[in-house]
Amino acid sequence: MAVKKEDKYPAARRYQVADIQVSREATAVKPNVVVNLVKKAKHPVLVTGGQLLKDPKLVEFAVKFHEKGIPIIATGGSSKPLIEKGVKPQSAVFPLHYVTQFMLDEEWQGFDGKGSYDVVLYLGFLPYYLSRMLSALKHFSKITTISLDEFYQPHAKFSFTNLTANKEMHYQMLEEVVNNL
Amino acid sequence: MAFELKKGLFAIDEMRNVSIKIGKVVEEEEEWTEPMGPTPKPGILELRKWDHKLLERFEPFYAPMSDYCNLCTMGPCDLSMNKRGACGIDLKTAKARLVTIACCIGAAAHTAHARHLLDHLIEDYGEDLPIDLGGDINVEAPNIRTIIGIKPRTLGDLREALDWAEKEIVKVLHATHIGNEESFIDYESKAMHVGMADHIGMEVADIAQIVAYNLPKAEQDTPLVDTGFGIVDKSKPVIVVVGHNVMYSRPVVEYLEEQGRIDDFEIAGLCCTAHDMTRVSSKTKIFGPISYQLRVIRSGLPDVLISDEQCIRADLLEACKAVGIPLIATSDAAIRGLPDVSDWPVDKIVDALVSGKLPGVFLSDPEKVGQVAPLVAEAVFKKHGGERKYRFFETDEDLWGEINKCTQCMSCVFTCPHNLRIDQGMAHAQKTKDLSKLGYLEEQCLACGKCEQACPKNIKIINVIMASNFEKLYNKSGKTRVGRGPIQDTEVRNVGQPIVMGQIPGIIAAVGCINFPDEMQSIREILEEFLKRRYIVVTSGCHAMDIGMLKDEEGQTLFEKYPGIFDAGGLVNTGSCVSNSHISGVAMKVASIFAMRPLRGNYAEIADYILNRVGAVGFSWGPYSHKAASIATGFNRLGVPVVVGPHGAKYRRAYIGRYYKPEKWWAYDIKTRKKMNIEPAPDSLLVAVETKEEAIVQLARLALRPNDTSQGRQIKLTHYLELSQKYLGTLPDDWPLYVRSEADLPLKMKDQLLQILESDYGWKIDWDKKKILEGPIRPFDAGFNPTLVEEVYEKYAGEKPPQ
Repeated sequence: MAVKKEDKYPAARRYQVADIQVSREATAVKPNVVVNLVKKAKHPVLVTGGQLLKDPKLVEFAVKFHEKGIPIIATGGSSKPLIEKGVKPQSAVFPLHYVTQFMLDEEWQGFDGKGSYDVVLYLGFLPYYLSRMLSALKHFSKITTISLDEFYQPHAKFSFTNLTANKEMHYQMLEEVVNNL
Repeated sequence: MAFELKKGLFAIDEMRNVSIKIGKVVEEEEEWTEPMGPTPKPGILELRKWDHKLLERFEPFYAPMSDYCNLCTMGPCDLSMNKRGACGIDLKTAKARLVTIACCIGAAAHTAHARHLLDHLIEDYGEDLPIDLGGDINVEAPNIRTIIGIKPRTLGDLREALDWAEKEIVKVLHATHIGNEESFIDYESKAMHVGMADHIGMEVADIAQIVAYNLPKAEQDTPLVDTGFGIVDKSKPVIVVVGHNVMYSRPVVEYLEEQGRIDDFEIAGLCCTAHDMTRVSSKTKIFGPISYQLRVIRSGLPDVLISDEQCIRADLLEACKAVGIPLIATSDAAIRGLPDVSDWPVDKIVDALVSGKLPGVFLSDPEKVGQVAPLVAEAVFKKHGGERKYRFFETDEDLWGEINKCTQCMSCVFTCPHNLRIDQGMAHAQKTKDLSKLGYLEEQCLACGKCEQACPKNIKIINVIMASNFEKLYNKSGKTRVGRGPIQDTEVRNVGQPIVMGQIPGIIAAVGCINFPDEMQSIREILEEFLKRRYIVVTSGCHAMDIGMLKDEEGQTLFEKYPGIFDAGGLVNTGSCVSNSHISGVAMKVASIFAMRPLRGNYAEIADYILNRVGAVGFSWGPYSHKAASIATGFNRLGVPVVVGPHGAKYRRAYIGRYYKPEKWWAYDIKTRKKMNIEPAPDSLLVAVETKEEAIVQLARLALRPNDTSQGRQIKLTHYLELSQKYLGTLPDDWPLYVRSEADLPLKMKDQLLQILESDYGWKIDWDKKKILEGPIRPFDAGFNPTLVEEVYEKYAGEKPPQ
C-alpha cells in the first residue's frame, strides 16, 4: 500500500538525542525521492544489517529490492535469511565497518568489480552503529548515502524521517520505494 | 655536613658528624644472560617505525561523532568534510588526537592506580619484598622485560617500570596540545605507544598486589565464588565496595577475620574491586559488573558503600543519599566534595555516618576504612531492624503510579544508549497490567539513568524496569572462577607449539566493559561456541563477571563447565582489569618460552612474532571505557587484533586493512631470503561488529596467521567455514585468500572447495592428484619464517633484506 499524499510524515528527529553536533544534516526524504535517486544511480547497492534477523518484514523488502535488480551487500548475519529466500548477496562475511572502509577508497572496484558504488541504501541496522559509518562516509567520501531505516539518521545524505512510533508507515514507505523502482 | 657519593672507590675514616645518604643500591647483576634488545625504555621515536608498518597495512578509519572541534577558545571550529580548524588541524587528525587523549586517560587510570598501590605497598612491606609469582613462573613480568628491559626482582624494582610509563604518558599527552602533531598516523603511533605503556601500568599493579596480598599465583583451579544480584544473605549487614583498587576493601576483610566475625557480614563488590577482593578472600562475593551500581544501590541492599577509583558512577553520593546508604569515598581520584575525615577517630566517623550527620566521608586511611565500614554497616543494619524498606518501590501502588504517568513520548527511547523501547513496555503494562515487557528490558538495560534525565514526567524509569523483573533479578546468582593472575610457564610450554602452528585454532580474550548490544546472554553463547571448538578462552574484568552470572539450561555457568587451564577448551579468568597484562604477557611468553625469542628490550621483534604467528584475538563485546580503548590499542601494537561490539564504533577510530590491495600484504621470508606477498591474515587490528553472529565469524577469521602450518590452517579454516555457514548461511567471501595448498582445505569439504576454486576463481587443479597447481597468493612452505622488521630479518638472515 502506497503512502498517500495526505499522510503526514513525522518530523525528522534524531534517534539519539545527543547525536550529533552537525554542520550538514541529512535531508529527510519521501519514498519517491529515494526512487528517483536510485533510478539515476550508475552503481547503486543495498546494504543490509543485523536487524533483518529480528524483523522478517525487512527481509521481505530486501528480497524485493534484489528482485528489482539492486545488488545486496549483507552484513551482520543478514545474509542467512536472504540466502534462504534465494538472494545471492555480493558479500556476506564483511561487517559494515569493513564495507565502509572499502567504500572510502575511491579505487575500490566494489564486490562485483564494476567500480565504486555511487548510491548506497541502508536497511536494518542498529542506529548508533550505522550513524558512525554514515559519518565516516559523509566526511571522507562523495557517496550518496540513503538510510531506509525507521529512524532519522542525521549523518546520511538522505534519510527517512523518524518512524519509530509508526512502524506501519515505515513498511508502507519501503513498499512504495520497491514498487516504483 | 652531607655530601653525595659519585661513582668510584671511597675510604671514609675517622669522620664525625657526617650523614651519608645512600640512594638506590645497585647489586651486582645476577645471571640474566638475555642480551639487551634495541629498544629498552622506548620513547615516542623508537617504535614509530613498527607502528607505521602496522598503520600502513591496517589503515586508520575515522567516524567522527561531531563535525566540530571545541577543545580550545579559538573554536568551536567546523571540521566537517575534513576542513581545517583555527589551529590548522583537519578532521582526521583531530579524531586521532581525541583517540590519543582517550588512550592517555585509560593508561593514566591504570598507571596512577599502580602508583598509588605500589607506593602504599612499599611503605607497608618494604621495597625488598621479592616478586614471587609461584613456582611455575620464571618469566615473571613479560611486559616489563620486553618494554623496559629489566627483570624485576622486588617491589622496589617495579618503580623503574612505573617511572617509565608515567613519563611516556605525559609525553604523549603533551603531544595532544594545540599545534603539536600534524599527522594522524603519528597520533596513532602515539596512541599505540601509550597503549603499550598501559600494559606496563597494569602489570606493575597486578604483580604488586599479587606478591604483597598473596593473591592466587597462576593457580589453575582457583575457587568458584558467588556472583550475581541474589548472592547476599539479607539477614546480615551488607558491605558493598565499588571500583578498581583493592587497597581499601582488603582491610575490611582483614579486620573482620581478625575479629573472627567474617561470617557475620556479607562483603560484596561491584566492578574490578570485586574480582580483586575475591582473590584476597573467596569468602567475599561479586555482585556484578559496573552496570550493576544503580541496581544494587537503589535496591537498598547495602548498609554501607565504599568507593575507590575508576569505573564508579559520578553520581554515587547522590544515589546513596537517595536511599540512605552511607558512602565512604577512599581514593583521591574521587573525593566527591566530601569532608576529609582521615585524621578523625574511628568512633567519630562511625557516628557521623550512622546518625546521618554526614551522608558520606572521604577516608584515605585504608586501615581505618577496614574498621569503620563494618561498624557502620552493623549499626545501619540494626537501625532499620534488618528490614530493608526500599526495594525500588515501597509498594506496588508506587510502582504502578510511576508506570501510569507514562505518555509514550519516547524521550527515554531517544536518549537510551541502546534505544530500548521503554515506551512499548510502559504502554503494554498500562493496557494489560503485565510487566513482562518491562521486565525483559532489565536484561538489556545498562542502568545508566539517562532516560530518567530525559523523562518529562520524572518517572523513575530504572526503578520501574528493575522492579518489573524483581524476582528474577533478586534471585540471580552464579559462579565466577577467582582470578588466577598470570599463566604458568609450563602451560605456555605445553601449548606454545600448537598455538603457533595453528593446531589450537586460537586464543579468544574476552575482556572489557558490558555495553552489550543485546541481552547479556549473548556473551555466553559466543564464548561457548569457541570453548566447544577447543579454542583457549581468556577473560577478565566485567566480561568475566557476566560469564559467571549466565547459566545454561542445566543451571551451570561456563566457569563450572570448563576448566581454568590455559589449554584447548579452557576458560581462564586472569582477574581484574589490571590482570589484562597477563593476557598480553602470555602472548609474549609464547615468543619467549616456545620460540626462544629474547624479550629484553626487544618489543618490535616480539610484536612482529605475535602478529605473524600467534592466533590471539581480543574481544570486547561491550566496550565503553577509555581504559578499554587504551588496553585494545596496546594489544594492537603487539600485533593482536581486537573485535569490539557495535558500541565500539563510537571510539570513532578503527584499524581496518583492505584485503584487495596486494601491495599491503607482504613479509620478508628469512628462509628463502625473499620479500613475499602473503595472505591478509589478520586483515584488521580493530573492528566493530553488529551482531553476535558476526562476532563469532570474525573472531574465527582473525585467528588466522601467515605462519600457520597446513594442519593448523586446515583446522582454522574448518572452523571459519563451518561458523560462516552456520551463522551467515554461506561460505565466507574471502576463504580462497587463505588457501596455500590443497592441504589447507578442510577434509570434509575438500572436493567441493576445489571445485569452487576452479569454477569460480579460475584456479588450476590437477584432479587426478587433487592438487592445486595455480591460484594461491603463495605456496605453502613449512620453513616459512616471516617478519616485517628489517632489523629482525638482518639479525636472523645475516644480510640486508631484499627490496
